[in-house]
This record gives sequence, C-alpha cells and structure tokens, in this order.
Amino acid sequence: MNPLDLLGVVVQDAFWSALAAAGFAMVFNVPRRTLFGCVVAGAVGHAFRTFLTKTMGIPIEPATLMGAALVGFVAMFFARRLRAPASVFAICGGIPMVPGLFAYSAMLGLIRLADPNATSEVLLSAVVNLVRTGLILAAIAIGIALPSFIFRREKPVV
Amino acid sequence: MITAKHILQKPPLTHETLTDVTDLSLWAGQMLLQHGADSQRIEETVHHIGTGLGCDWLDILVSPNALIITANSGGEFRTKVRRVTRLGVNLAIIDSINDLSRRIDHGLVDRVYIRAEMERISKTPALYNRWLIVGMIGLSCAAFCRLFGAELPVTLVTFFAAAAATFFRQEMIKRHLNPYVTVMGTAFVAGVIASTATLLKIGAQPHLALAASVLLLVPGVPLINAAEDLLFGHSVTGIVRGLTGALIALCIALGLLLAMGLMGVSGL
Repeated sequence: MNPLDLLGVVVQDAFWSALAAAGFAMVFNVPRRTLFGCVVAGAVGHAFRTFLTKTMGIPIEPATLMGAALVGFVAMFFARRLRAPASVFAICGGIPMVPGLFAYSAMLGLIRLADPNATSEVLLSAVVNLVRTGLILAAIAIGIALPSFIFRREKPVV
Repeated sequence: MITAKHILQKPPLTHETLTDVTDLSLWAGQMLLQHGADSQRIEETVHHIGTGLGCDWLDILVSPNALIITANSGGEFRTKVRRVTRLGVNLAIIDSINDLSRRIDHGLVDRVYIRAEMERISKTPALYNRWLIVGMIGLSCAAFCRLFGAELPVTLVTFFAAAAATFFRQEMIKRHLNPYVTVMGTAFVAGVIASTATLLKIGAQPHLALAASVLLLVPGVPLINAAEDLLFGHSVTGIVRGLTGALIALCIALGLLLAMGLMGVSGL
C-alpha cells in the first residue's frame, strides 16, 4: 500500500474511532475536562491497531494488545496532565477496539448449531469467532493495564 | 499502591472522631464501588482517606456487593459493613472522589468540609444532556459500522437504530427496570430497526447494521474492571464482574435474536 493511501486509511480510522469513543465517554459521564483526552485515547489506539494490521500484517489479536498498551500510555499521560484517574481515559479509549463483529458472528454461529442439519464448518466458524472475541477482549484489558504494571511497582504492605 | 509510609505515630482519635472517619471512608468506598471503580482503586482510596484523617491504619475488604472496613487508632478500632448496590457507571464521581482523597492525603481539608463535599459529589448530575447522548451514541454505533466496512446507507440505518435504542434505554433506566431486562429491551429495539436494512436490501452487507447497532450495550466497564481485578489479585470481584459482563452479553444476544426472529431476518 502506498504511503499516501495508508495515511488516508489511518486518518479515517482515527476519525471514526474518535467518534465511537466520544459517545461512550458521554454515557459514562466523564468530567468535561477529560472528554478530549478520552477521544484522543480512543482514536490513537484503534488507528495504531489498524496501522499495524495494514502495514505489517500482524494478526488482529496481538495488534490489539499493542493498540491497547498505547491507550494505556496515553491514558497515563492525560492522567498526570489533568489530575484524573487513568482509568477514565483507558476505559473510553479501549471501547473502539471492542470486537463487535466477531462477537456478533460468534453469537449467530452458536445459534446455528441448534439446527439439526448443522455441519462441522458451522461449529468451526462459531468456535473460531468465539475464541477471537475472547482473545481480543483479553488483549484490550491486559494492554491498558500494562503501563500500570510497568510504572507502579511499590511493594504493597496490605 | 498502599505503602508503609502511613505507619507513623499519630495522636489517638477520640471515640466520635474515629466513628466519623470510619463513616466517611466507607461512604467514599461505597460511591466508588457503585459507579464503576476497580477494586485496587477502591482499596487504595479508602485507605488513604482513613489514614489521611488520622487513623493509624485502615483495612478494607472489597466484595462484589458489600464493603467492610476496620479503622484503627491508638489501640481502638471501629469496624463497619455496608451493602452496596450497583448503579450505573459514572466516571465523574470516581474522578471527584479521587481528587478529594488526594486533598485529604495532603492534609488540606477537614472533616466538616469533606462531609459537605461528599454530599455534593453523591449528587453529581448527568454532565451531558440526554438528547446529546442519544445523538452521540447514534454516531458512535454508526462509526463502529463504518469501521466494520459498511457503506453509508447501512451506516445511516445504524445511526437511527442506535439512537432510538438509546432513547428507550434511558426511559427504561428512568423506570428502574431490572438492568438485564433493560439490556434485552434495548437490544430488541435496536435489532428491530436495524433489521430494516436487510429487509429493504440496503447495500452489500446490511447485517452490519445489526452487529453495530447493539454495540451501545457492550459491557465495557464490567469487563475491563474484571480483568484489572483478576490481574491485581482481587479474584472474587474479578470473577463476579466478568460473569456480570458475560450475562449482559447474553442478554444483548437474546434481545437481538428476538428482534431478528420477529422481523424474519437471518442476520447473515
């Protein structure tokens, strides 16, 4: 893919992800001063994931882990800047990466298993989609927690 | 992270003061648990509030729907349990409590001020107009649809489906319906409207409207908190939150399937 096309794809991706993050940030009632940070976290994370999958052909699961880790770092940056909990930005920033389409396909696949004429392909596709949904969700959660594992290592007493 | 810096020789608190400190700490923990904070944050914040207000030590047990704290001062201790019912996610409240606990930790505020401040925090209004949220969630789900690779007409159907579903969701929440019934009903409304894309044969992949329009319900906060809790060793709360998230996902699926069955749409 030529660099200009790639830039176009990534910028469009960032725009739609920003929109997705913004709506959820409002439902979660984030403080107004943090809204911009939430939107940026959402845009940056998803666009980075798209960039990785498009350029290096990295599968979506590890790309999600890296995208979510970036969300975690961005969240930490805004948290220090604006004196707000990092989880405010991390939760909103992780939303655009939620594997909605995989979850939907997994659900339909599982339902189609109830058909007595279901073939093993149906089973296979249902399980594949289910596993991918689970892996992507886990990647988002672990990715956004990564920065706190790196930066917060004081020895606990309690 | 709770560190040893709080174990210092402090003057013992009087009976009434210790009771008050216990109450304030527990109240802060309750608000955090109700509005979607992870267990680690609840433990740390409540500990900092207690020790910042003069306790020698404060222990807290976070369970999925109750909090237990014990505040120690000068050999005296006070233990209190509180049942906590889950309310919706409200990150503004978590931010405010976080800010308050930092000021307490720095010794900047007294208990009278804290009580007034907590009273104010507990009444934090919705910061965004409900119609703005209806429109924005419509746009959010449309954006998801776009990210899935749908054409503009399907995206438009998604917008209307998600916006209408959000309106119904707000109405159901206002009437205090069971949260799972609310999710199912919302998914149903979204599914019925999104099915029209398939019925009217709009675009090449009309089923994307079905997948995207129910995304407004994704249990993002319970699932992320579940993972954080498990990773930080709060296994019980982590498992319960994960199960809550899975149950919400199941309710989304049921509501959507009901809508698809009614509209005679296969969803492929």
